[in-house]
Amino acid sequence: MIVVAPKPKSKPKDFKDDFWKKKDLKISIGEIVEKEGAVSEKKTPMGPTPKPHVTDLRSWDFKLLSRYEPFYAPFCDMCCLCTFGKCDLLNKKGACGIDSATQQARIVLLACNIGTAAHAGHARHMINHLVEELGEDYPLDLGYNIDIEAPITRTIIGQKPENLGDLKNVISYVEEQLSHLLSACHTGQEGSNLDFESKSLHSGIMDDLAREVGDLAQIVALNMPKGDGDAPLIEMGVGTIDSSKPVVLCIGHNVVPGASIMDYLDETGQEEDLEVCGICCAAIDISRYNDRAKVVGPLSRQLKFIRSGVADVIIVDEQCIRTDVLEEAQSKNTAVIATTDKMCLGLPDMTDKDPDVIVSKLLNKEIEGALILDPEKVGEVSVKVAKILAPEREKLKLLPELDEVQKLALECTECGWCNRVCPNNKPMMEAVVAAGTGNFSNFEKLYLNDVCYSCGRCEQECERELPLMSMLAKAGEKLAKDEKFNIRAGRGPVQDVEIRRVGAPLVLGDIPGVIAIVGCSNYPDGGKEVAEMAKEFLERNYIVVATGCGAMSIGEYRDEEGKTLYEQYSGEFDSRGLLNIGSCVSNAHISGACIKIANIFAKKPLEGNFEEIADYILNRVGACGVAWGAYSQKAAAIATGVNRWGIPVVVGPHGSKYRRLLLGRTDKKETWKIKDLRTGKIMDGEPAPEHLIYAAENMGEAIVMTAKLCIRPTDTGKGRQIKLNHYMDLYKRYYGILPPDVHLFVRNEKDIPITYKKDVKEILEEVGWEPREIPQEPSLMGMDGD
Amino acid sequence: MANDRVIPWQPTVIAGPKQALLVTPETAELMIKKAKRPLLILGPLVKEDPVLTLATKIAERWDLPVVTTADAFKAFNDKGLNPISYGVVEIVNLLKDPEWQGVNGQGQHDLAIFLGCVYYIGSQGLSTLKHYAPHLKTLTICKFFHSNADASFPNMKDEEWFNYLEKIGTG
Repeated sequence: MIVVAPKPKSKPKDFKDDFWKKKDLKISIGEIVEKEGAVSEKKTPMGPTPKPHVTDLRSWDFKLLSRYEPFYAPFCDMCCLCTFGKCDLLNKKGACGIDSATQQARIVLLACNIGTAAHAGHARHMINHLVEELGEDYPLDLGYNIDIEAPITRTIIGQKPENLGDLKNVISYVEEQLSHLLSACHTGQEGSNLDFESKSLHSGIMDDLAREVGDLAQIVALNMPKGDGDAPLIEMGVGTIDSSKPVVLCIGHNVVPGASIMDYLDETGQEEDLEVCGICCAAIDISRYNDRAKVVGPLSRQLKFIRSGVADVIIVDEQCIRTDVLEEAQSKNTAVIATTDKMCLGLPDMTDKDPDVIVSKLLNKEIEGALILDPEKVGEVSVKVAKILAPEREKLKLLPELDEVQKLALECTECGWCNRVCPNNKPMMEAVVAAGTGNFSNFEKLYLNDVCYSCGRCEQECERELPLMSMLAKAGEKLAKDEKFNIRAGRGPVQDVEIRRVGAPLVLGDIPGVIAIVGCSNYPDGGKEVAEMAKEFLERNYIVVATGCGAMSIGEYRDEEGKTLYEQYSGEFDSRGLLNIGSCVSNAHISGACIKIANIFAKKPLEGNFEEIADYILNRVGACGVAWGAYSQKAAAIATGVNRWGIPVVVGPHGSKYRRLLLGRTDKKETWKIKDLRTGKIMDGEPAPEHLIYAAENMGEAIVMTAKLCIRPTDTGKGRQIKLNHYMDLYKRYYGILPPDVHLFVRNEKDIPITYKKDVKEILEEVGWEPREIPQEPSLMGMDGD
Repeated sequence: MANDRVIPWQPTVIAGPKQALLVTPETAELMIKKAKRPLLILGPLVKEDPVLTLATKIAERWDLPVVTTADAFKAFNDKGLNPISYGVVEIVNLLKDPEWQGVNGQGQHDLAIFLGCVYYIGSQGLSTLKHYAPHLKTLTICKFFHSNADASFPNMKDEEWFNYLEKIGTG
């Protein structure tokens, strides 16, 4: 048995000021009770499922899966995982006996496991490094406004983590579970699609744990913002990078190498001499560590920016990095340093070499690049190399001239395959043909807002081997100069005081919902749609939280006055708040906020009490995730994790390629039955939320569905009116009529929005609607299966 | 490439050995005629003219019940088609259930005709029906070859496609 966290040490937590006392508050935060100036720990009762094994939450999963049945969309008819195969599973079983649905569920589990392993590997690397630097006893102190510091860990593990050593133990538990889950993917193991799904859900919450402890470790050890709603604005966009200085670009997700670069610059007094910038989550996390670091933008910028040649040195750490980064960098004489075991790129391990020797070998091209697993050395080597290399590379920071682009474009045979292989079938061929006549406007349309997210598939297909991405980058160069945006630095967790403030209005429906805009940049039509979605919900008084590439895309939109959304809206967790929570790993704080609502507002104990907490969130907390550009296995794990907590997610059309959605059926009334825990009565419920993970075909559909998925059975009449009003408004805008399913969400006449009273009454009359009893404590607990 | 017309429009959606049957407007008409309870599913890529009108003519000529996906509803409702709106994944989810009684409550459909859904999510939906809905056939009349359908138009340029749709819509 693994002991995950030691019992709390007897020393009470010191509040850093007299915040609580000034206000003469007597508060109860979980197990900590403050009385007359003294703080004491109260023994917390342990719930039924501390440290659940793979099957311990299966009954909860099956309840979710009977309401939200798996919808499979095979990406491939075949299975090619063992030497029995390939097996064609179209209306046939494979040689091992597996059928198509079970195979899809198996692949979903595999994807979730890969995602969870990525976060767990990342967290393990970081925690080990920080423990080595600071010791296991380094305290987990998030300041005086956050006492429920690790809601996911408390709920799943059953204990409050006190220090970095405790986080290490959490990761050990995750790794143990992950090995069981991965094992289930082996040929001849699990044979039920539903059990595979249950395991995926388990993998999802393991991912939650890994993300939570990973982010907490970096927040406390690297002194990142601790729930600061007023975190600084960070410069973002290609136009903010001063390419006359040496430029170091960090790509990936692990903050440690980037933080070392910032440290080295500070220690050597060179902070003004270099530009340090990042792409993807590494950018967000380095700027949480040091606000001088700049954010180039989301993942969609990667190839375009590398091709621009602006970076003198590229530091890669882990996850979502182009695997041909070395080849691409070499074509621009950009030095590459790999920094983690996850991505070594075939480079020689220079970890034990003297930094000056590494610098010399890199500059003299004695090595193609360097693998340096010591972050401190990465800091020194990257700065030294960039400084020497930058002047030599000046000419390489130029893309081909426009007349050269035009000349290249004339070689196009108009075969059209660039359009066909584009994931979004964007009109690349038309852009090239127009460029041949000297008209670059079509290229510019593709460039703007990352409508083309530069995956480069078109180039691979081009029979003339035209450098389409470089041509695009050149055509967009003048636009890139104007790309000067900002993003609020990732603030980390939501404060307990904020939860106290919004708990009631959220659960009662007065604040219509929390919209979490998360994930990657595999957008169907550019990043602007993400900003438009955020703006729509902010204007409607929702709380909008964001992470990762989604948070960056939101910052790349300016209104008529030239302000980004981060400048227009407060960073507090409240109605009309726009919060950049942080990077991918910071997604844990979004589920964490929902868990804290159950704990702080509703006094539900957390420790070992997963099902009750998830049941509370599913039925009461109007939160919905939007992963408009989700592409990775990590995104699959994140979405599956939040689903198990009872939070629905809307993904973009590419999300259908994950092969599985969890869809409710409004026509199956029996699936919506709930138990009113107050009366013990089983009663008819409502389809709220209607789906657990849903793929929308375009932005309009996504906005409308997101508003609908914030409806919860516990909304008060006023709250329901507010939510329905938004749903109906949006439906009318995109569909031209009022939603024909509105009657499903009207429990009695008090739910009808005043603005639409007459119209709704007509619909109700038409469908023979009758008022319904409202459950006081709707729950799936105590239903069949318990 | 010689067989460009029958390589899936996005070539990597090829899922396995089974490929859609390439159909002409005449064959498509035969499929519609033969079906007892066909359903026309119109997506957001055909909400503007000329395909808006062409699609409307097809629905009217064959008296097809219409489901619209995403935000295609408004355009076709304005055309007087009286469509029902579902998300593309929602309608596919209903179509794969042999117990579902169809949009008119008269029984599950035996032919689903797709036009104008976003290619790759449409392809995923067609894969769902290929695997889990043996009770119905799928036909796509987009200008793209959909290998996951039972029957599909080939990849075409606009002009040829408009002619194809015109033929089905007017005879």
